[in-house]
Amino acid sequence: MARMKFLCDIERCIACDGCVIACKEGNNVPVGINRRRVVTINEGQPGEKSISISCMHCSDAPCIAVCPVDAIYQREDGIVLVNKDTCIGCGYCFMACPFGAPQFPSGKVFGARGAMDKCTFCAGGPAETFSQKERKLYGQNRIAEGKPPLCAAMCATKALLAGDADIVADIYRERVFRRGSGVNAWGWSRAYGKK
Amino acid sequence: MAGVANTWGYGAMTNSLNDIRHSKCIFMIGSNAAEAHPVALQHILRAKEVNNAPVIVVDPRFTRLAAKATDYVRIRPGTDTAFVMGLINAIIQNDWYDKEFVRTRVAGFEEMKEVASHYTPEVVEDITGIPASEVVRIAKIMATHRPGTVIWCMGGTQHHIGSSNTRAFCILQLVLGNMGVSGGGTNIFRGHDNVQGATDMCVLSHSLPAYYGLKDGSWKHWCRVWDVDYEWIKSRFHSKDYMNKKGFTLARWYEGVNQDDKIYQYTPIKAVVFWGCASNSQSQYFKLKKALDKLDLVVIIDPFPTMTAAMCEKDNVYLLPSTSQYETEGSVTSTSRQVQWRFKVVDPVHDSKDDYWIMEELVKRFGFADKFYKNIKKVPDDVTRELAKGSLTIGYCGYSPERIKKHTLNWHTFDIDTLQAKGGPCDGEYYGLPWPCWTEDHPGTPILYDISKPVAKGGLPFRARFGTEITYYSGRKENLLAAEGIANPGSEVNGGYPEFKDVVPGTNWKTDLSMKTIKYAISKGMAPFGNARARCVVWTFPDQVPVHREPLHSPRPDLVAKYPTYEDKPNHYRVFTKYKSEQRPELVKDFPFVLITGRMVEHMGGGAETRSNKYLAELAPEMYAEINTRVANDLGIRSGDMVWIESPEGGRIKVKAKITERVDDKTIFLPFHFGGFFQGESLEANYPSGHVPYALGEPANIVTNYGYDIITQIQSTKDGLCKVSKA
Repeated sequence: MARMKFLCDIERCIACDGCVIACKEGNNVPVGINRRRVVTINEGQPGEKSISISCMHCSDAPCIAVCPVDAIYQREDGIVLVNKDTCIGCGYCFMACPFGAPQFPSGKVFGARGAMDKCTFCAGGPAETFSQKERKLYGQNRIAEGKPPLCAAMCATKALLAGDADIVADIYRERVFRRGSGVNAWGWSRAYGKK
Repeated sequence: MAGVANTWGYGAMTNSLNDIRHSKCIFMIGSNAAEAHPVALQHILRAKEVNNAPVIVVDPRFTRLAAKATDYVRIRPGTDTAFVMGLINAIIQNDWYDKEFVRTRVAGFEEMKEVASHYTPEVVEDITGIPASEVVRIAKIMATHRPGTVIWCMGGTQHHIGSSNTRAFCILQLVLGNMGVSGGGTNIFRGHDNVQGATDMCVLSHSLPAYYGLKDGSWKHWCRVWDVDYEWIKSRFHSKDYMNKKGFTLARWYEGVNQDDKIYQYTPIKAVVFWGCASNSQSQYFKLKKALDKLDLVVIIDPFPTMTAAMCEKDNVYLLPSTSQYETEGSVTSTSRQVQWRFKVVDPVHDSKDDYWIMEELVKRFGFADKFYKNIKKVPDDVTRELAKGSLTIGYCGYSPERIKKHTLNWHTFDIDTLQAKGGPCDGEYYGLPWPCWTEDHPGTPILYDISKPVAKGGLPFRARFGTEITYYSGRKENLLAAEGIANPGSEVNGGYPEFKDVVPGTNWKTDLSMKTIKYAISKGMAPFGNARARCVVWTFPDQVPVHREPLHSPRPDLVAKYPTYEDKPNHYRVFTKYKSEQRPELVKDFPFVLITGRMVEHMGGGAETRSNKYLAELAPEMYAEINTRVANDLGIRSGDMVWIESPEGGRIKVKAKITERVDDKTIFLPFHFGGFFQGESLEANYPSGHVPYALGEPANIVTNYGYDIITQIQSTKDGLCKVSKA
């Protein structure tokens, strides 16, 4: 079976935030909850790079390992989802995640965080597929419809790739190969100078 | 666009976004496409990756586009012409120019070369701040990577010498021989999916639709199209001269109310209608406030209550809620001259009405609906039909709603690289029938001035628009038609020829509604508009060849004497416009920073729509000023502090400081999408309840300076001065 993955090509990402808005509008994510973010480093200087980050749907995901109530689970295609009916909002997953993906609605009494929310790869959740409940708690289930996640579908420069890992890797491999050809080929600039 | 049209015929993007995929070099000046045109970056980055095309970004600010450049060039605002003439000079002096192209398809080269020779790398360095060695290096990159494309946006045009800037960009492409070829061209990115369409319909004050101008013949042409009596139209005007006289422009209409500068009209302006127009995109915005409070009537037709509505503090405002584009339909013309059908997604929500309905009700109440709707039975299809019938100049004549819809619905059958359909119902045609699309079976013109294709297959030469012969100020005489041997394949005349006229007696290709003239020309393999040379010298402009002139408010008083602005221009679109008397070299002492404005990706135009979107407001909630680290430390400003920015005209705004290296230590940058504050005061209470945008802020244009292009009167927002102090 296909393994779903994200890849953000930093040579292509222009920090337009199209992915963030597509995700929020399409899944009715509340203001303050960020399933996806664009991070820019070296802003305004040579070497400025941007990357779009969300839950990476890790193999051997640390969030699953630390969840005390087994609310987080991984589908066969690698997509990591949370069951909001089971989640107790303890926040352990947030501590464990290297990407800062788990998000919590804030402002509840006694500091309770509410059920964790994060990127679903636009694959809905454990509620019945295409049900009202799934839509309300988790957002769209585009994977069940045979569509890519909203963020990647929206990406203006095709920086953000999502889907079957083999295909994603192929697209990226071909790009890197092209970038390394001609005057960009290894050794060429050293031998003949680039500028 | 006036500069471009006066070079080779049409003032539009010559190639297309997709065609940039074929470029070997991409030169972008005064454009932050990564934020303003994100989708275009898909093609630009592909050329960079696949063709190893250098991406040269020339901008005063290290933009998000610059982050994607191979070569970033920091330029002093308002010195584009000096830099580009310097590139042209370097290309000529080093013998890198395309001699055959210049010999056969360019006019006025010798005169231009003489002017360009002043702009040596050292002179360019002094004016622009770009090192002399960089000038030569960039010129060499462009010369050794052909075909290359030149891309610009409002950073190039919004200057008092904007029309010289755009001509310099065009001349650069002419000397490199980059015109009329795939991967080349001047790709002037327009703001949204119908800016080119709006320009084509000429929602401006100096022309009837399709660039016909305001002459008697132009009025008579359109009266024939509309099937309305010319004498009746004439009777509607105050007097006949007003039919032929250019009106006020968007940039300066408020002087028609305020009259701080003298106006040339029998009456001041008494009413204004903002139809989908953000007033906070106008420079010296605080002067507009005065005008709004003086007017008898202000009508705002918009899906959102705009900054204009919040600014009006007199009881003279009417808000007509219109629909968004998703609640109506019609044809739109994109930056690449491609026409598409925008289908309706949902019925209008709440009490909003679409623009057609509002227009119809207005016309009915004015009492001339019978004349206005003579050819219009079905809206909007018949509107498209009528404008296709009349817009011969730009070859809208091949358009019909059916044909446009067929393209839009079958977009998947078109090739992403060539834009041509492979099989399917549009086989062989180019997507969106890029204009000129001469006839019902013409495939569209994907690349303007491309002589490698027959005219019937989408080829064209340069337009013969400026006569057939000229004697220059230098005394030299030149034939303006293309050289012998230069014509599209299949042309009966193998060389230059003038435009077609009198095929039907008394008409020319632009006014023959029977279309016989256009069809006759194409049957001979020739362009209806003739086959001429592109001009380096425009004898109707004050600067016949582009030259540098210091911004009105220059940070370099020492250069003002050497490169002064123009003489003042009375009656410039009905208003006295200051140049020389406004150029004040002493200003820089009190206003030491150059002020530039620009876009951010999260917001659009005046921001009424985007600032009312909770997610976009979350991403970009606040107005700010970009201040260089050194400046901030010298002035004792820390990141997040509030600062006052003040203009020499007396506008002032209070905004948050963003300390960054994006701008250098002589420049302040402001994004121009904000509204809802006015010189330190919140206008929140002035919005209808429940309609306050999520993000409010000071409009940047309160502090943009005086200054207008000498030809088009476009406002000069990218080279003024300001002062900064901690609030």
